[in-house]
Amino acid sequence: MTVPIGAFIAVSAALFFIGAAGVLMRRNAVVILMCVELMLNAANLALVAFSRRSGSIDQRGSVFVVFVFVIAAAEVAVGLAIVLSAYRNRPSVDVDGAKAMSG
Amino acid sequence: MYDLIGPAIFGLLSVGIIAAAGGVVLLKRITAQALLMAFTFFCMAGMFLLLGAETIAAFQVLIYVGAITVLILFGVMFTKQDERAYALFFQRQTPWAGAVVAAIALPVIALAFSFRDGIPLPPGGDLIPLATSLFGDFTFPFEVASVLLLAALVGAIVLVKRDDDEEPTGPAGEPLP
Repeated sequence: MTVPIGAFIAVSAALFFIGAAGVLMRRNAVVILMCVELMLNAANLALVAFSRRSGSIDQRGSVFVVFVFVIAAAEVAVGLAIVLSAYRNRPSVDVDGAKAMSG
Repeated sequence: MYDLIGPAIFGLLSVGIIAAAGGVVLLKRITAQALLMAFTFFCMAGMFLLLGAETIAAFQVLIYVGAITVLILFGVMFTKQDERAYALFFQRQTPWAGAVVAAIALPVIALAFSFRDGIPLPPGGDLIPLATSLFGDFTFPFEVASVLLLAALVGAIVLVKRDDDEEPTGPAGEPLP
């Protein structure tokens, strides 16, 4: 017996919503970045699983996963740069206090 | 006997993923959170192996477990992690956030279990079809992704660069030669 595809999708959905809950609940900017990475990884698992389910031999889902890797790397680099430059002006990573950019 | 190995590995990996991700969200020790995030990524590489995507699993270990975890740890190192006692459980928005997430998550997970097909594994690995597709049909997005990485590199450097009017000074404030 092989593992059904729905089990992979269920793990992906659970991980995505754990990450979403973390983004909504935590107020530390670095932790929010971590939870965004978890959500991107859950999307990767869903892409690979559905690519297997379609039975296509050209690995389209895996190609999109490669692009998600690129986006994730760029996102975490720029996100940490923004956190660090905001930290230089106001020494805290608590996003609740960052009201300076709001109108 | 052999038939039970795949589901057993899947169970272990999924328990690891869910538990470590829950630790990332719920714990308050920032270094433990970063390392648990790395453990989640590592278990996810095992999931990719179980799905027959070996190349993606290798990329996962290289990029997520290697590069992104190190970047996050740099971010932890450069910022002061101030203690906010009970910042998690006594926020006003936490019940609303939990209710909204649960309301969306439960139907989606129930829908996910409705896919019951097995997984046909491709013979001969996935590197050759992946490379054929990436450098055949997706050559232009590949090049756009490289430009995006360059823009992110330059943008990150510009964002963290100190202003030029801050002259470097010695310990007593004298200008350096």
